[in-house]
Amino acid sequence: MNKEKLSLADISKREKKPLVHLESQDLMPLPAPFDDPARTPDWRPLSAQVKEKYECFLDDTCAVSVPQPKSREEEEALVAKFLSGLEKLFSRENNWTFLQPLLLTMDYCAKCQTCAEACHVFEGSGRNELYRPTYRSEILRRLYFKYVQRGGLLSAWQHGDIELNWPLVARLIELSYRCNICRRCAQTCPIGADNGLVAHELRKLFSQEMGIAAKELHDSGSMLQLKVGSSTGMNAEAVKDNIAFIDEDISEKTGIEVKTPWDVEGADILLIHNAGEILAWPENPGAFALIFNAAGLSWTMSSEIAGYDSINYGVWYDDAQFARVAIKHAEAARKLKVKKIVLGECGHAHKALTVIADRVLTGDLNIPRESCMPLLRDIVMSGRLKLDPARNNFPVTLHDPCNLVRLMGVVEPQREIVRKICPQFREMEPHGVDNYCCGGGSGFAIMSPHNFSDWRFQVAGRKKVEQVLNAFRECLDPSIPKYLCAPCSNCKGQFRDMLAYYDLWEQHRILYGGLVELIVNAMTDVKPGFIEWEWR
Amino acid sequence: MPVFEVSGRKYDVDEDGFLQDPGIWSQDVALDFATTEGVNELTSNHWKVINYLRNYYLQFGIAPMIRKLCKETGFKLNEIYQMFPSGPAKGACKLAGLPKPTGCV
Repeated sequence: MNKEKLSLADISKREKKPLVHLESQDLMPLPAPFDDPARTPDWRPLSAQVKEKYECFLDDTCAVSVPQPKSREEEEALVAKFLSGLEKLFSRENNWTFLQPLLLTMDYCAKCQTCAEACHVFEGSGRNELYRPTYRSEILRRLYFKYVQRGGLLSAWQHGDIELNWPLVARLIELSYRCNICRRCAQTCPIGADNGLVAHELRKLFSQEMGIAAKELHDSGSMLQLKVGSSTGMNAEAVKDNIAFIDEDISEKTGIEVKTPWDVEGADILLIHNAGEILAWPENPGAFALIFNAAGLSWTMSSEIAGYDSINYGVWYDDAQFARVAIKHAEAARKLKVKKIVLGECGHAHKALTVIADRVLTGDLNIPRESCMPLLRDIVMSGRLKLDPARNNFPVTLHDPCNLVRLMGVVEPQREIVRKICPQFREMEPHGVDNYCCGGGSGFAIMSPHNFSDWRFQVAGRKKVEQVLNAFRECLDPSIPKYLCAPCSNCKGQFRDMLAYYDLWEQHRILYGGLVELIVNAMTDVKPGFIEWEWR
Repeated sequence: MPVFEVSGRKYDVDEDGFLQDPGIWSQDVALDFATTEGVNELTSNHWKVINYLRNYYLQFGIAPMIRKLCKETGFKLNEIYQMFPSGPAKGACKLAGLPKPTGCV
């Protein structure tokens, strides 16, 4: 096996051959029923066509599908672009978002490897050197000292040398998409170095300077959102039609008349969902509408461009795209003169609009922006809804979306709710700010080119599969329905695909869903059985 | 760009086998793509689903919610899976010539 032998110099190898290869038995062992590696699904190999066409010489998969250059000249032009992007990454004029933490990360790393012990990708891979958080960062660090600081021989001796060529750049593109940017490593680093940020900054360099990004995030993601209003492709007419359908469906199902208010000027709250919820998990926006109405809130949805889709994929790969979308969100709120924006169950939207957008939104665009969690907690705890926990008398565990807990510290509100309404609630270990990513973070949940989903379920999601199986250890019997509460669209997409991949619904009746569904399911005014134990 | 070839006809498709240009769809396209999705015969029920998807797409430019598809066609989700073994999104939409869904769906 080549994992022990991998060195930093290997990243520049001209040979068109992956640096590492993963076998099932090398990966982190899983608990029963997967204690025998032969019981996990087979990893599909990349096709000969893909290997011939795209840069896929990092590991067994390919996330970004960068075409192989046709000539050395083309390669050199790409490397020159990379260098100019590298310069910009370290200049104040061009990196107005993250320059300081990036510089600190470049200057201070004690190589203590505390981060590696915290990384679910490294651990899930069976501690493969390629996925060690510092492997990626050390490459950028050496490039920084050599080409940005222009260190000479002494610097090369002090910081280590590196050979910059196209194979390095091509592999680094892929390697920047082997990190979920969950920032568990950053939280644990005794010095505060942020290896998750390194993956982000590399993606940013590739997108902003070289026009290279995962197409799901850029072409059919942020670009589509800015054009029609939503990355799902829904324009205002389509979203209103869908919400009207959801209102009708939820009214019928619950026996409570639900009507979603649109474009109400002067409402207290503008609620923005991840629009994927509307299409894939309509019971979630439906439950929100029912709860908000029942609690007597003054709220509205917006049919402005991006006003009905909280996604901001730019936060994963491109600051300019991020800023464009964040401004659209704030403009929708300003137009309706609402008091605040509340974000639905979507982790990265929380990070984008409530935290990072502080760098972009000034003046009358700086409208208060909040997570839905404290608001839902207040509603549940206030007694405004009549709730019967007996209606949720099945095993429930709570997945923590990284952006809510680790980035924002929103840990307790969602727990207060489930403790109150779910008698069989049990925590995953560890949880809260120490949670593990679902493996779909930073956009992976919507990326499945070639065999990339094999990587994200077998490696990135592995730790989470272990946690879920352990949380339901004593009740895996399929006669007992179990609910994995994941209050984030991206996490839900990952769980849907990953639970199906490991056949955990069919074999063990583990269903996934959001938080508001559990609240409505417990409401005594609602017809029993809001949560349908059917796969979706 | 991958090409899907069947009975001497060639279609440009994306990497998941969805028709690149939804505009060139015809009933023959549905028949040609049926083979890749484990559908042996297109019954009137299949056409009911395909035509609904097609008309919805022409009106709104996207695929409908699955729940809506079920309600409007009168089929339960498991019946749709019986008709289209790879499911409504991957199977039925592909036969109806819709592009692959985008965003967090």
